[in-house]
Amino acid sequence: MLEIIREYGLMLLIGEYPHGKLGGLALTLIISIVSLAVTFPCAILIALARTGQSRPLKAIASGFVHSVRAIPLLMLIFWAYFALPMAIGFPIDATYTLIIAIVVYQAAYLGEIIAAGIQGLPNGQVEAAKALGLGYVPTTFRVILPQAIFNVIPGIVNQLTTIIKESSLGSIIAVSELSYVMLQVNSNEVTKPLQIFGILAATYFILCFALSQATNWLERRIANRRTGRVLVEVIA
Amino acid sequence: MIEFQGVSKWFGPLKVIKEISATVDKGTTIVLCGPSGSGKSTLVRTVNRLESIQEGTITVGGMDINAKSVNVNTLRTGIGFIFQQFNLFPHLTVIDNVMLPLRRIHKQSRKEALPAALLMLERVGLADKANSLPADISGGQSQRVAIARSLILKPEVLILDEPTSALDPEMVSEVLKLLRQLSGEGITMMCVTHEMGFAREVADRIWFLKNGALTFDAKPELFFSSGTHPDVRGFLSSIQKNH
Ligand SMILES: Nc1ncnc2c1ncn2[C@@H]1O[C@H](COP(=O)(O)OP(=O)(O)OP(=O)(O)O)[C@@H](O)[C@H]1O
Ligand SMILES: [Mg+2]
Repeated sequence: MLEIIREYGLMLLIGEYPHGKLGGLALTLIISIVSLAVTFPCAILIALARTGQSRPLKAIASGFVHSVRAIPLLMLIFWAYFALPMAIGFPIDATYTLIIAIVVYQAAYLGEIIAAGIQGLPNGQVEAAKALGLGYVPTTFRVILPQAIFNVIPGIVNQLTTIIKESSLGSIIAVSELSYVMLQVNSNEVTKPLQIFGILAATYFILCFALSQATNWLERRIANRRTGRVLVEVIA
Repeated sequence: MIEFQGVSKWFGPLKVIKEISATVDKGTTIVLCGPSGSGKSTLVRTVNRLESIQEGTITVGGMDINAKSVNVNTLRTGIGFIFQQFNLFPHLTVIDNVMLPLRRIHKQSRKEALPAALLMLERVGLADKANSLPADISGGQSQRVAIARSLILKPEVLILDEPTSALDPEMVSEVLKLLRQLSGEGITMMCVTHEMGFAREVADRIWFLKNGALTFDAKPELFFSSGTHPDVRGFLSSIQKNH
């Protein structure tokens, strides 16, 4: 095991960089964080449509969410990989393909998480904003979203864990992220699959376990803050 | 200042406001009382269009508030509204709560809005809490911040729906004291409350609602006298029992 790490450790971390493209764990992290960052604004729009007053927007958003939730991510990756370039008429880098598929997929899930955060706010918050004469934009961006997003931070971090695991599907379309790199190592070293995939599993585990611990910690802190607030209201 | 003409409202099949006609003169204070479910909240919420009406008209300063030409947000900036549960924005500090209307409606910068907001906090006696979060101040203080926030755009009308009902007894007086002061300064006020001492002292008229109808509209002297409406007499003795 140690000799594999000695020989391929750097490759596991950064792929063939600087002689070739950046890959490995670094690429996995970049893909995951970029995906989450692009997903976030899309998810907010979906959440606003889902919880808003406009019936057509509601219908579109809920149609999107239900369709995406009924298909596997792998299917979206195939679509983005094979069908999208034909539709738009030029090829796209496999890494971008993967990110696009993850963003579309995760927008549905993260959108539902943020929508739940919005619906969980006391009705009095919107009423108070209305009574002050605030319009839709300041009510949404100054009153509703800051609170709703704060309350679902654990869910958002949790979604990052999911994205990291999902990015391993990129190996199917030859995105040289962590799993793909280790698949290649495995074809070089045909006799050591146990060690190689053991290392791969351990890497994902350490990363995702740390993140889920962070999620738990955040959840406790936010729950404390909420009950703290409720307590104050009850005492007051 | 505020005029109700034959106002009726239904929630589905339920008629909760029944042909109410009444006037609130400029600069006067009206106290609304009546049993639970009599429509007090609903009636005051129609004035800033938090509730719609199906019949009649409501005018504020001579303007039909339900006319198509009326911008509802403009209407609301001219009418302060205070809720039982304060409804401060918990993610903003006290001063940021008070500045929010200046910044997001009058589009002032933080720097421009700060002096007026601080002055308003001083008026409600909470300048020292400017940087606290709502979770860290008492209920009475929260309600005073809510009042400061609703007055920051200088509305001519202030409406309060049971402003002291969620408060511990020892905090009621600090809020009532502030309201007494505001009433004296000439703002037009409609206040739903069961604080009858406050009503007797501060109200120019008291409205008694029952089953959605304005049963009695009288000056405090008559309202609390032996010549009052029989329903009022029953109501007054029932709330005295509870206190
Ligand atoms: N959103 C609503 N949908 C349906 N019915 C409602 C709604 N809000 C109030 N009602 C009904 O309207 C009537 C008047 O309610 P309202 O809240 O105005 O009474 P209230 O005098 O303020 O009572 P309380 O003293 O309990 O606050 C009640 O019968 C109530 O059940
Ligand atoms: Mg009420």
